Amino acid sequence: MALSSAVVALVGWSLLPFVEFRPNRIVDGVQMRVWAAAGPWTWVLLATLLAGLASAFAPAAWRGRGVLGSAVASFVALLFALGFAATRLTPPGDSPVRVSIGAGAWIVSVGVAALWFQGSQSSGSSTWNWVAGTVGAAAVVAGFAFGGLAHLSLIIEYQTQKDTFWWLTYRHVLLTLGGTAIAAVIGVPLGIAAARTRFVRYTAIPAVSVIQTVPSLALFGLLMVPLAALGLPSIGTLPTLIALTLYALLPIVRNTFLGVTGVDAAVVDAGRGMGMSGAELLLRVELPLGLPLLLEGLRAALVLTVGIAAVMAIGGAQDLGTLVFTGFGEQATDLVLLGAIPMVVLSIFADQGMRALERGIVSPGIREKRSPS
Amino acid sequence: MITLESLTKRYGDHLAVDGLTLDVPEGEVAVLIGPSGCGKTTTLRMINRLIEPTSGRILIGGVDASTLKVEELRRGIGYVIQSVGLFPHLTVAENIATVPKMLGWKNDRTAARATELLDLVGLDPTQYAGKYPRQLSGGEAQRVGVARALAADPPVLLMDEPFGAVDPLNRDRLQGEFARIQRELRKTVIFVTHDVDEAIRLADRIALMRDGKLQQYDVPEALLDHPGNKFVHDFVGADAALKRLGRVRVDSVMRHTVPVTASSDAAAVELATCSPERFVYLTDERGVLAGWIDCRVLERGTPPTDAATRVDWREAAVMPDTSLKEALSRMLALGYRLVAVVDAEGVLLGDVSLADVERTMESGDAHLATPVAAESAEEV
Repeated sequence: MALSSAVVALVGWSLLPFVEFRPNRIVDGVQMRVWAAAGPWTWVLLATLLAGLASAFAPAAWRGRGVLGSAVASFVALLFALGFAATRLTPPGDSPVRVSIGAGAWIVSVGVAALWFQGSQSSGSSTWNWVAGTVGAAAVVAGFAFGGLAHLSLIIEYQTQKDTFWWLTYRHVLLTLGGTAIAAVIGVPLGIAAARTRFVRYTAIPAVSVIQTVPSLALFGLLMVPLAALGLPSIGTLPTLIALTLYALLPIVRNTFLGVTGVDAAVVDAGRGMGMSGAELLLRVELPLGLPLLLEGLRAALVLTVGIAAVMAIGGAQDLGTLVFTGFGEQATDLVLLGAIPMVVLSIFADQGMRALERGIVSPGIREKRSPS
Repeated sequence: MITLESLTKRYGDHLAVDGLTLDVPEGEVAVLIGPSGCGKTTTLRMINRLIEPTSGRILIGGVDASTLKVEELRRGIGYVIQSVGLFPHLTVAENIATVPKMLGWKNDRTAARATELLDLVGLDPTQYAGKYPRQLSGGEAQRVGVARALAADPPVLLMDEPFGAVDPLNRDRLQGEFARIQRELRKTVIFVTHDVDEAIRLADRIALMRDGKLQQYDVPEALLDHPGNKFVHDFVGADAALKRLGRVRVDSVMRHTVPVTASSDAAAVELATCSPERFVYLTDERGVLAGWIDCRVLERGTPPTDAATRVDWREAAVMPDTSLKEALSRMLALGYRLVAVVDAEGVLLGDVSLADVERTMESGDAHLATPVAAESAEEV
């Protein structure tokens, strides 16, 4: 695995253009290889990627830390190579010149990200992962402060769109959290009801499953009619929130149902035999034991809605999807990336945040031991 | 204390329990036994109303169970099941605290009670209170299950094959501990099992059931000596004398003085060869059974240095409260005419021989050596 990731990164380094140079925002660009643009950082990056390749063959005891270390070093080298290229190609002062990230640099970053992930999985040490994360974050700060990253077109685009960007990010977070929260308020009781009564089980679960199969744009279209009939706005925030809630329902309802019904029958029998009422059994036994599955459902719902909220921008929702679609319209790659990158970051935050929450609130008696993959 | 009056449970055309009438005196253990499907578990679950009877009445301490709120009824009855059913997300102490918490006990009282009960069931509270169920062995989990059932000191205990899922060695130990706890607490217990030996060992009275009907309800000795019909006779087994051994405790017949040495193996061999038994026990410096030397091994040409048989006392010895029947099967398993008797820490106390067992069987009054008689002997 680590081997193929390193090979991918090296292919990106050697065979594909590293940056694209355009005299101004409109004209076609010139593709440049890494050795033509990044100066000495070219060879630093090569060295760190080769170190990653070598780590893949290291003895098992060292492989994880070797892969992680070379991934972090490659990340630092990549940032400084990009910064160096951008600084060198951009004339001083207020210039129309645009230097954007080329295909090769993207491939390198994908390979490095994969290396990092594999290294963090197999290093088996949270301390090492913490150090790696801290060094990576410091490198980003340093890259802006001293490395010339601010001259990249993506950053220039960000500078001009700054206020819009943060406003749309805020909206995106709000829509995602809002949709998932409403779905949780409806879905958790629905899942419990499905576990208790056959009627709900055979109506609610198929219903939320069917909703999931409707493509998001189609759902948006279908919502227009009833909303318009009710005299409510059929584009914008309201239909987006409704659509996100509907999509988030399935993982929440299904996992609540599975969590509650999955409790060992002997445990339920013991609880009832000791004189627990239905509510006590639910609150003291079934929900605490079903919690890992319930949280897994919430996590899936959050990650799902981060993506679907973006698509909803077509229907007038104001969120990061707006940047992406505007970028497509204007053929402005940097604008697309300005919407896409934070979406990926939000997904990762949602995922990691829910995992941290799970570690915090699930009883150690039933928490799964993290197994190295 | 518990009276069942014409208790009946019907599922469609099938009568799971058919007009069962039974009276369990306060402080006694009544064992419901019979082949699977005879209605014993259904009967048990009707007493705490996990199953509602089709007809008939259940009186607990003179109160009709159907007049109480079902949660209230169950909180006053300890309940132990074969699969234990500990709450996996709660610690051992929290599991034991379940009913006290529902009854609104103060925290310090609940905690003190949990400590007391862990001591009672033979688990060190400092070591076990904070553990989670998945960290326990089967035998430890069932001890916690019993402690949890006793938490709010209910007068009545329902036990559904509580030792059915543990291995034979642990089952023997758990049965012995249950008998000890019961002598101390004097609960009114209804105990379901399909194991005749377990019933004979633990019961004050045995209710033998078949197809939902009561076949015979009597003290174990009467069931063994005067089976009411052929089914009872076949079920308890042909050799009543052998079965009766299940009610005799090892300490009522054991030999208290045995040849023993804690010294080096060479000296032990010397002693063994000289002793009239031609057999000597080995212990460590604390007196814990470590093995034995049998001179017949030396006669077969084994060098004295290899003569010692090293054993784990947990497997090769019995305890004073073990039944003679279990001691006999341990002898057969080990292939010796003797089995060592040790205390809970493994300290050698004496032994029991096949001859002792035979003498008990032949005396014909083995049933007189009930646990109660044995208890007074123990206190001397």
